[in-house]
Amino acid sequence: MANKKINKKDIAKLLNKWSQEFAVFVPSRESGVAEMAKWDGKDTGFLDWYRNTIVPPKANFLPQMEEMFRFQKDKEGYKIELPPDGAKQLIFGIRPCDARAMAIIDPNFKELYQDPYYLSRRNSAVLVGLGCMNPSESCFCTSMGVSPAESKDVDLMLTDIGDEFLIEEVSDKGRKLMAKTTGLKGATKNDEAKAKEAKKTAYDKVTRKLDTEGIADKLQASFDDEEFWEKIAAKCISCGICTLLCPTCYCFDINDELVRQQGTRFRNWDSCGFPVYTKMPMENPRAEKWRRVRQKVCHKFEFYPMNFDVIACTGCGRCIRLCPVNLDITQVLESVPAKARVRK
Amino acid sequence: MTATDTKHQRFFAQNNVYLPHIAVIEKIIEETPGVRTFHFNFKDKKLQKEFSFESGQFGEYSVFGIGEAPFCISSSPTHRHHLEFVVQKVGRVTNALHRLGVGAEIGFRGPYGNSFPLDFLKGKNLVFVGGGIGLAPLRSLIWNVIDNRKKYKNIDIVYGARTPADLCFQYDLDAWGKDKSIKFVTTVDRGDESWKGKVGVVPKILEEIAPSAKNAVAIVCGPPIMIRFTFPVLTKLGFTPEQMLTTLEKRMKCGIGKCGRCNIGNIYVCRDGPVFSYAQIKNFVSSEY
Repeated sequence: MANKKINKKDIAKLLNKWSQEFAVFVPSRESGVAEMAKWDGKDTGFLDWYRNTIVPPKANFLPQMEEMFRFQKDKEGYKIELPPDGAKQLIFGIRPCDARAMAIIDPNFKELYQDPYYLSRRNSAVLVGLGCMNPSESCFCTSMGVSPAESKDVDLMLTDIGDEFLIEEVSDKGRKLMAKTTGLKGATKNDEAKAKEAKKTAYDKVTRKLDTEGIADKLQASFDDEEFWEKIAAKCISCGICTLLCPTCYCFDINDELVRQQGTRFRNWDSCGFPVYTKMPMENPRAEKWRRVRQKVCHKFEFYPMNFDVIACTGCGRCIRLCPVNLDITQVLESVPAKARVRK
Repeated sequence: MTATDTKHQRFFAQNNVYLPHIAVIEKIIEETPGVRTFHFNFKDKKLQKEFSFESGQFGEYSVFGIGEAPFCISSSPTHRHHLEFVVQKVGRVTNALHRLGVGAEIGFRGPYGNSFPLDFLKGKNLVFVGGGIGLAPLRSLIWNVIDNRKKYKNIDIVYGARTPADLCFQYDLDAWGKDKSIKFVTTVDRGDESWKGKVGVVPKILEEIAPSAKNAVAIVCGPPIMIRFTFPVLTKLGFTPEQMLTTLEKRMKCGIGKCGRCNIGNIYVCRDGPVFSYAQIKNFVSSEY
């Protein structure tokens, strides 16, 4: 089927149409932090300012805090009640790096035991990708197999071709949505050519590179190289931001809250950067900072690939941009000794 | 030893792995100061009848309003009338559990994790080495083995604690002491006037008793320090890493390999363990155990 296109001025109309079926989310700075927020029905200003959100769209599937269930005690004992199902989400403008991140963490929530909260949101959602035409200096997505303006991990993909966006149908879900979305013009050969050119230009704009060849082996060989890890971790302040705002970090904590006999069990993002994360009453396997930094790096580039056959990094660059002490993951990985300096 | 999908999903509440079942505490035993055994049963009579687990598996226990914590199921699957778990008062949830009385409702989800490999243990001489509250997962297996006594050869149990007052499960120790079909030794690091058993740390006493490694498997549970000193003793006695089993403990939240924190390298203690052979531990990519 031929691709469609839409004039940028008509985006609001399109989003309003989709709002009839979905809770539509778009990039927003309303809260003071760029994140995917509920579409307000009019403001398409993000088309001008948007490079990427600070809060990754993983928050739409694994919210920073979410209710798992409620409990209440009456004379017959405790009753447990699930929260109502949320609306089907349509995430408009997700970047290819962040869409890939979702595909990367899916298996963690699917395998062996299914995570009903994450999966129900994920399965019902539509991802509408928007090609990233101005990658940041900190971005290195092309080294991680991601192209800034192309994606197989979304349902529809939009590419900026001047006054218009080219719309490609990537998945069945995307095709079905487009079949229901009437009134769009078909793309011409010229539009297709412009989109192809735009994608290539965007790809070439990503200048930061990371060579991941053999990285897992190097990390394994240097696991017990305390001197190396201490040096790497020296300036880390354990703020956790590189994990909390990483689109592939999914660790969470589970806690209870009780207010006037109405109880809630909720879960919230957690970070391997915090000492309490692994703290047990008698001991803590990662009390020292360098052990926590090592865990973060090794989990993404060694352990996760061992379990799920994919590196848990998309090169989105957030951890580089947002780190308050400029701890740069690409520099860390490049400095891992090629050969073990200490024996296990 | 990895858990399979279908084996565990049978016991999901409302088809959601995170939802606990309501259980009622039926009995509380003060094992030592700060350590209590809780007997419980599910409120749902159908579940009470159908629930099954294997020795070595654990559950996530809720005190509603306080939170959840993982404990092994310390009773044997061969004892069907109720389930047991043992709690040392050390943190928020464990303190809250200690405040509960008989009749109180708690939440339970599980069973999770792998289990002691009974097929592997069948027909072998078994050497149980336990320390302190670490006897909790072992006693599930020990009773399991005793209740199927013919399937196994010789049974040695070495159990120790810091002082006589720190020995848990006195009722089990009495029973095993009387059982002619097992060789049972208790020891304490420091005795008192009335103490008639052995004195000395568990690895030292194990070395004295020197059980044969021939056709044997040693199952070691206790504080990390005891485990660390027991493996070398067993090695000296001729046990191979494959012949030594233990359980590992890490901070856990989800109990099902999702939340991240209990990993040792790519291994998740909750999902891939808690039962590991020393051979497996030696092969972990991480030295962080």
